Amino acid sequence: MAYLVRNDIVQYACTCGQLRPISFLYFCRHCLKLRCGFCVCHEVESHYCSNCLEILPSAEARLKKNRCQACFDCPNCLNTLAVRGTTVSVRDPDDPGKVNSQKKYYHACFFCRWTTRDVGLPDQAVQTVSANGWAQKNTSNVQRITVLLEHAKLLGMLERHEREQREKKFTARFRRNFTHLPGLTAAHVRKRAGLPPELPAPSTIKVNLAEFQPAVAKETVPELPTDIFTKELDIGTVTTLTQRFAQPETQPDSIEGLLPSYKHLSTKQSQRCRECEHNVSKPELNPASIKFKIQQAAYFYVPEVRIVTLEPLIGGKPSEVVIVFINPSQHPTTLSFITLQEAEEEIKQHQTEGTTDTAVQQGEAPLSLSSLTKPVTVVEEPRPIDISMTGEVQLPAADVEIVLPPKDDAAEYDDSGEIQQFHDDPKIVIHRRANKASLRFTVVPKTDIAGENCVIGFAFRYTYVNRISTPAIATSEQKPQKVQLCTRIFMNCGKILEGTQ
Amino acid sequence: MIKTYYESGMGLSTERQAVVFDFGDCYTKVGFAGEAGPRSIVPSEVRCPKDGRTRKVFDAVKADEQYNLLVEFIHNLYFRHLLVSPKDRRVVVVESVLCPTSIREMLAKVFFMHFEISSLLFVPSHVVALSTLGVNTALVVDMGATETIVIPVYEGVAVLHAWQAQPLAAKAVERQISDMLQEREKSNQSEGYANLTEKMIEDIKVRACFVTTLGRTQKAREDKPCPCPPSVNYLVGPGSNMLNISGDIRENAFNILFEQDADQISVSTMMLDAITKCPIDMRKPLAENILLIGGTSMAVGMKARIKEELSYLAASAQYSEKLKLRTFKFHSPPAKENYTAWLGGAIYGATDIVSTRSLSKEAYLKDKKVPDWVSLIYNTLNEGVKRSI
Ligand SMILES: Nc1ncnc2c1ncn2[C@@H]1O[C@H](COP(=O)(O)OP(=O)(O)O)[C@@H](O)[C@H]1O
Ligand SMILES: [Zn+2]
Ligand SMILES: [Zn+2]
Ligand SMILES: [Zn+2]
Ligand SMILES: [Zn+2]
Repeated sequence: MAYLVRNDIVQYACTCGQLRPISFLYFCRHCLKLRCGFCVCHEVESHYCSNCLEILPSAEARLKKNRCQACFDCPNCLNTLAVRGTTVSVRDPDDPGKVNSQKKYYHACFFCRWTTRDVGLPDQAVQTVSANGWAQKNTSNVQRITVLLEHAKLLGMLERHEREQREKKFTARFRRNFTHLPGLTAAHVRKRAGLPPELPAPSTIKVNLAEFQPAVAKETVPELPTDIFTKELDIGTVTTLTQRFAQPETQPDSIEGLLPSYKHLSTKQSQRCRECEHNVSKPELNPASIKFKIQQAAYFYVPEVRIVTLEPLIGGKPSEVVIVFINPSQHPTTLSFITLQEAEEEIKQHQTEGTTDTAVQQGEAPLSLSSLTKPVTVVEEPRPIDISMTGEVQLPAADVEIVLPPKDDAAEYDDSGEIQQFHDDPKIVIHRRANKASLRFTVVPKTDIAGENCVIGFAFRYTYVNRISTPAIATSEQKPQKVQLCTRIFMNCGKILEGTQ
Repeated sequence: MIKTYYESGMGLSTERQAVVFDFGDCYTKVGFAGEAGPRSIVPSEVRCPKDGRTRKVFDAVKADEQYNLLVEFIHNLYFRHLLVSPKDRRVVVVESVLCPTSIREMLAKVFFMHFEISSLLFVPSHVVALSTLGVNTALVVDMGATETIVIPVYEGVAVLHAWQAQPLAAKAVERQISDMLQEREKSNQSEGYANLTEKMIEDIKVRACFVTTLGRTQKAREDKPCPCPPSVNYLVGPGSNMLNISGDIRENAFNILFEQDADQISVSTMMLDAITKCPIDMRKPLAENILLIGGTSMAVGMKARIKEELSYLAASAQYSEKLKLRTFKFHSPPAKENYTAWLGGAIYGATDIVSTRSLSKEAYLKDKKVPDWVSLIYNTLNEGVKRSI
C-alpha cells in the first residue's frame, strides 16, 4: 500500500515538460496551466534567522551580509551555538578578603562540544553577545582592496571615455532621437540608454590614478615549517576544507584559528508564473508561520489520480488496473480520456494560438520605448518529456464522459451514502463515493522486459471553472467561464513479471 | 510608469551589486561585486533529488542534463548562499582561458533563459587576478583542481602563444595518494583503505600531506633518503578503523607535480617554458612578478618548493643557456589563493566595465548566442588605458 501513495508513482507532465507528482505542481489560475519549480520565477520574499526567528528587512540583511547579529554557528561542525552561563569567583578589588561570584556567559556547541573557550575567547558578562571581539576581519586586506577597487573604477572610467570618444557619432545620433521627447534631461537619456552617469574629466582621473601604488613582488615566500619532519601530527588539530571555507577570508589551517561565525540567514521565497507574472505561491511574512497568502497548488484545482489496485503485470497479457480520480475543486468536473499523441497535438495547437499575443518582442532596437516600458518576458522552450513507455493502456472511448461531483468537506463525514444518478457504464466505473470515482483500465505490459517497471502514459480532459475574469470577458459577461483543460499523466505500475506459459 | 520602472532598478543595476561567480571544477566561489571576499566557497556539485547521490556539476554528458544540473546548482547558490533574486541582476563570470565555448554558451543560456538576469560578462581569470595587485605584468600560475595553467600577462595583454597547461594539480596529487595507499594495501591487507571515498582522499591530502623540499627529494632520488616524517592516524568515518598514513605518503604525494620523468614536464618547467616562449625583454619582468593562484598553491610548503625549483632549474644545463634569469619574485595578493581570481572578478564587477562591456539580455535574446567580444580575453581593460595614456 505504501507503494501506491509514494509520490513518484503517478507523475503529471508540467507545461514545461518536467514530470512531477501533483504535490510538487502549481496551477496558474490566470494562464490555466500547470507550473513547476523549474518553470516559475523564484524570488526572495524575506530574510529571517532560522534560530531566533528574527525577521530582517532586505536592506538590513544586505548590510549585515545576510547574517543574524544575535546567533552564531559553530565553526567546527557548523551547527548553531548555544549560550551557556557559569558563575565565576572574582576577588573583590576593594576588599581583598572578599570573593564575589559573577555570572559569565560563553558559547558552546551541543553537537560537537566546541566552546568559545577552546580558542581562548573571553567569557562575556552579558547574555546577548555583541561579539565585536570575535569578528573575523582581515582589516589590512579590506583596506588594500578598497584602494584596488578605486583604482579599477578609475581605469574603467578612463576606458569609457575612450570608448565614448570613438562612438561619439553614434551617441550624438541617438541622443537626438531621445531629446525630442518631452521632459527628458541628459541624465535621463543616459539612464534610459543603460549608460552610467556622466564621467569626471580624463585629466582628473589621471591625477587620481597616479597616486596608486601597485603591489610589489618579493623574493621571500612562506617557508615549510622546519619541525614538520620531526613533530608528531595530531590530525584533529588541522581544519578540514569545510571548516576553512566557512571562513573564506581567513581559511585557518589550525583549529585554533576557528572563530564562531554569525548565523547565515534563511529566506522565504515566492513563486511567480513567468508567463503572466502573477504569483502562484506567496508565503506569509512571519517566519514562524507556515501559511501562505497565495498558494495555487495544483492539488486544489487539478483532479488527482491514484492507483487503487493492480493485477500482476505479465508481459504481453492484459491486466486490470483500478485508478481513482478525485475532484478537488468546488465545481463539478467532467473527465474524458485521450491518448498522449492527441494531447500533444492539442497542446501544440494551443501554443500556436497563444504565441500571437504573448510573442516576445524581439528584433526591435533595444532603445525603443516599448522595450523599456515593457520588460521582455523570457520563457524557456517546453521540452519533450523524458520517459519511455513500457506498457500500453487501453482507454475508454473518447466520448465516454465521467462526471465528478465537487468536493464537499461535510460529505467526508457523511456515511448516509446518498446515491446520485450518473448513468455510468459499470464496465468502466466500478465505484463512486462523493467526489471520487474508481475506474477500470486495462494495461498491457510490453513483452521481453520482465523485471523492469511498467510505465504507462495517457491524458485526460477535465472541465475547469475559471472564476478569474479577464478584462475582455468582464465587459461581456460576468459569469464564471467553463473551460476544458487537458493534462498528461505518467504512471509507474510496478515490476513486470515473467510470463508463465 | 517609466519612473517606477527605473526605481525598481531594472536595466540599470549600478546600485544593485552584480553577482560574481567563479565556477571551478571542484569548488565554486560566489559573492557580490565590490566585496572583499566571496560569500561562499562550495563544492561544484548537486544532490540528485531522485536517488540522493551527489553529482559533479561539470561532469554531465548530455546537454539537457548539463542544463538541469547547472539550473539546480545556481538556484541553490542564489537562494541558499546569496539570498537575492536572480532576476534582473547583473552577473559576472570568471572563466579560465581553457573554458570550452560550449560551457560558456550553456552558462549564458541558463543565466538568461532560466534566471532572467539582466546582463552577463565573462572575465578571464588570469587577467582579472592582476587587478588584485594593481599591476599589468605577471606570470599567472593557476593551480586548480584538474589543471595547472601558466599564462604570462604583459602590460595587460595575455601572451597567448606562451601559455602552458598540464593536468598537474589537485587531482593528480589525490590519485598519487590513492595509488600509494593501494600499494601498501597489497603488502598489508588489514587496513581500511577500501573504504576511502574521493572526499576522504582529498581530506588526507589537505590535512596530512605537505610539499617537501627539493633538497630532500634529490637525496631520495640519489637513494640516500632522509628519515621520514612521523606517520599520522586517520579515522575513516565514525566507528571505523584507524588508517595509518605513512610519513612517506605525507611527504612525497605532492612530488608528482615536480617529477620530471619521461616527458620532462613539471609545474616548475611549465613556468620556465612559458617565460622562454616570451620575447626576451619580457622575461625578467615576468620572472619578477609571479602570481600563484588556485587552491593547490595553498598546500603547506608549495611556494617554497616552487621557488627552490625555479632557482635550481634556471641554473641547470636545461635552462641556463636559454634563460639568463636568477631572481624570481612572488606576489601576495590581499586574498587567499583559491579565491584570488574571484576577487579579481569582484573588483572588475564594481567598475563601469559591467555596464559598458556586458552582454545585455536584449542582445542575447536576439541571437541566443554569446559573441566573442563578451569575453575580455583578447581585449582587456589595461590595453585601452595604455593607448590613452
Ligand atoms: N584552503 C585550502 N587549503 C588547502 N588546500 C586547498 C584549500 N582550498 C582548496 N584546496 C585544494 O585545492 C584544490 C583546488 O581548489 P580550487 O582552486 O578551488 O579548485 P577549482 O579548480 O575547482 O577552482 C582543491 O581540490 C582543494 O583540495
Ligand atoms: Zn514546469
Ligand atoms: Zn538569530
Ligand atoms: Zn559544533
Ligand atoms: Zn500565469
